Amino acid sequence: MKKIKKLPLETKHKPTWCPGCPNFMILAGVKKAIEATGKKREDFAMVAGIGCHAKIFDYLNLPGLNSLHGRVPPVCLGLKIGNPNLKVLGFSGDGDAYAEGIEHTLHAARYNSNWTYIVHNNQTFSLTTGQPTPVTEKGFKDKTTPLGVNTEPFNPIKIMLAAGASFVARVFADVDSVAWVLKEAINHKGFSFVEILQPCIIFHKEMLEYKKNIYSLEESGHDKTNYVAAMRKAEEFDYNTINKIPVGIFYQTKKPIFEEQFPQIKKLGKDD
Amino acid sequence: MRYNILFGGAAGQGPNILGEILSKALNKCGYYVFYSRDYQSLIRGGHNFNVLTFSEDPIYSNDSKMDVVIALDENTEKIHKKDLKKNGILMNAKKENMYFAGAVFKILGIDFKILDDELKILEKRYEENLKNSKEGYNEEKRKLCKLEKKKLKGTFYNGSLGISEGAVKSGLDIYYAYPMTPATPVLTELAGNQVKNNYLVLELENEIAVILAAIGSSITGAKTMVGTSGGGFDLMSESLSMAGIAEIPLVLYLAQRPGPASGVPTYTSQGDLNLARHAGHGEFSRIVLAPGDPKECEELTSQAFYFSQNFKLPAILLSDKHLAESFYTIYKIPKLTKSKKMINLKKFNSYEWNAEGTSTEDAKEINLGVKRRLKIIEDVKKESEKFEMIKSYGKKGSKNLVILWGSTKGAVLDAVKELDCEVLQILYMEPFPIDAVKKLISKKNIILVENNSTAQLGQLIAEKTGIIIEDKNKILRYDGRPFLADELNIEIKKRLK
Repeated sequence: MKKIKKLPLETKHKPTWCPGCPNFMILAGVKKAIEATGKKREDFAMVAGIGCHAKIFDYLNLPGLNSLHGRVPPVCLGLKIGNPNLKVLGFSGDGDAYAEGIEHTLHAARYNSNWTYIVHNNQTFSLTTGQPTPVTEKGFKDKTTPLGVNTEPFNPIKIMLAAGASFVARVFADVDSVAWVLKEAINHKGFSFVEILQPCIIFHKEMLEYKKNIYSLEESGHDKTNYVAAMRKAEEFDYNTINKIPVGIFYQTKKPIFEEQFPQIKKLGKDD
Repeated sequence: MRYNILFGGAAGQGPNILGEILSKALNKCGYYVFYSRDYQSLIRGGHNFNVLTFSEDPIYSNDSKMDVVIALDENTEKIHKKDLKKNGILMNAKKENMYFAGAVFKILGIDFKILDDELKILEKRYEENLKNSKEGYNEEKRKLCKLEKKKLKGTFYNGSLGISEGAVKSGLDIYYAYPMTPATPVLTELAGNQVKNNYLVLELENEIAVILAAIGSSITGAKTMVGTSGGGFDLMSESLSMAGIAEIPLVLYLAQRPGPASGVPTYTSQGDLNLARHAGHGEFSRIVLAPGDPKECEELTSQAFYFSQNFKLPAILLSDKHLAESFYTIYKIPKLTKSKKMINLKKFNSYEWNAEGTSTEDAKEINLGVKRRLKIIEDVKKESEKFEMIKSYGKKGSKNLVILWGSTKGAVLDAVKELDCEVLQILYMEPFPIDAVKKLISKKNIILVENNSTAQLGQLIAEKTGIIIEDKNKILRYDGRPFLADELNIEIKKRLK
C-alpha cells in the first residue's frame, strides 16, 4: 500500500469544541481525506460559515476565508472562478446552509461549480445555545420556543436532488465515513454536496440515536446513478421521526462544470 | 451659441436612436454635444424623451428651454410645447422617427451626406431609413442655423462607458453583478466585450452572492469589481464589512437613483453619499470616490483599483443615473493610474484575527487588529494626497465659491460661465481632503449644489472642517431630475455676493 504523506494541516489554535463533540471526528476525517488525495496543502482552499462547525477554519491549516453566517457557497464559487485549479472545501452548519443561506445552497447545486460543500447538520443552532433550525424536528423545545417547534423540517437531501446537485451524499460523523465520502466528493467532477449528521451532545442528544438506525446505501445495493431511486431513498428519513437512515452516496451524475464553460477563464488570475 | 433639441415619444418609438444619430453627426461636424435620457420604468408605451444640447464650446448639461421639440407622439407635444423658446420649432408631423432625422438635419443646415453615413453605420433597415429621412429633409422648409464643419476631435461617451473602460484598462479579471438600474449599462458593456478582452462577467443569484463571490475571487489574487444601485448595495453591506476586517481588495460601483427603497428607479439622485461612507457595521477603512464626468469615471476607476489593491480595502465608486446614462463630448485623454495585484491566497477571516489568520478573542490581538486598520486609514490619507482629490474652476479668488460633487459638475460649470464665482469639485469623499477644502472655503460666500434633499456633502464638510453652509445657500434638487444649466444659473446668481 502507498504510504500517505502527512501534511502540516495543524494550526496553533487550541480547539474550543466541547469535549467529545463529533466535530473532532469530522476534523480528523477531513484531514485524512486531504492527505489521501496526495496533493499539496497549497492545492486546497477552505471556506467556513458561522457556528460550531466554522471553528474548523481555525484548526485546519488551509488558506481561504472564514466567511459570514450562511455565506459559504458564493465564496467557494468565487475561489473557483479566481483559480479553477484549487480544490475548494466549503463548510457550513445547518443554520448556515438551510436557514440564513439557503438561497446560496440551492443555486450552488444549479451552477455545478467543481467544489465540495460539507454541511455539519446537528439540527440546532448550537453556538447560540440550542435554538431550532429549519431541519429541527417538530415538537422540539428550547428557551426561545417554549411552545415547541410547530413546523416540519426540510429534507436537505431531497432539496439538493431537486435543485440539480450532481453529487449528493450523507454520512454519520465518524472519521472513516467522513474520510471516505470526502475522497469521493473531492474526486467528483462538479458540485458535491455532503451532509454530515453530527449530534450536538449538549443541545440535541437525540441525534445520538441515529447511529443505531443508519444503514449503508452501497451495501444495500442502491444504484447511485438512478435519480428516482435516489429520491425514494431520500424519503426514507424525514429528519422528524427516527426511522431507518440511509447513509452514503444517494446520487452521482455528470453535468457540465460551470467554470469550464467560459473560454476566457483559464487565462484569469494571472498577474499583469 | 447653445442649442437644445428635445426628442420625445413612447418607449419603442425610437427617440433614442434618433438622438444618437444626430449626436454622432454633430460630433463629427466638430460640435460639443451633451445628450441625456429621461425614461420611465416600462418597456413599451409611456413617455420618454431625450434632450440634446450642442455648442461650439465645451458643454456638459442641458437647458430647460428648447429650440426644437420633435414629437413622435401627441403626448410629447402636449407635455413639451411649453418648453419651446419663443421662436422654437415644433416638429409634429405624424411620421416615423427617421423622417425627423432628415428634417432636423435640414433645419440645422447639415449636409445630408453626413446623415446618410450614419444610417449606413446603423445598417439596420438602411433603405427604409434613407427613404424616410430623405422625405423629411426635402419636406422641411424651416431654418434654425447653418452649421459649419469644425475640427474638434472629441470622444462621445457616457459615465457607464467610462467606468467600464477604466475597469478594463486597470486589468479587471472578473465583474460580478445583479441587474439594477442605473448600474446595468456597465454590466451590459462589460459583458459584451468579455471574451475579446479576456475577463469574466457573471450574474449570480442576488447582490449578496455577487459581493461574496467577488471576495472569493479577490483572495485568489484576481482583480474584481461589483456593480449595483442603492438597494443592491444595502444587501452587500454585511460583506462590505467583512472585506473591511479581512482586508480584502474590492472595487464597488454604486450608481445612485432616488430612494428610499425602490424609490424612482429610472431617475437620478445623489442620495447615497452617506450610504457609501457609512455602510457596513464596525469600524473599517474604505475609499469613496465621486467622478463628475465620463473622463473622471475612467480615471477614478483606475484609482479605485490602485487603492484597493495597495491598501487591501474596499473602494467605492459613486455615480448616478444622470452621469451613467448621459453622453458627453470629451476632448482630453484620461490619465489612468496603474495598479499591481497585491494579494496572495492565505487565511482571511471575518472574525478579528491574529498573525496566523485564525480567529482571536485576545485583548492584545484585538488591539493590534484595530490599530492595523486605523493605520491603513492613515496610509491611505497620505497616499491620496498624490492624487487630484479636488478640482477648482471658474474665477480664482472670487469671494463666491460654488461647491459640488459628482454629476452636478456639468450643470454647474455651464451655469457659472459668466458669473463671478469660483467652483470647487470634490472627488475624494473618503479620505476627505480636509486641509485643501478648508483652505479654499474659509471666508467665502459658499453656495452648495446637490441632487439630494439633505445636502449630504454639506454634512460631510461640516463634519470634517467645522464649517456649516447656510441653508439659504444650499441649492438642492430632489425630484429625480438633474439640474439644468439655465435654471441653475438663476439660482446661483441670486446667492452671489
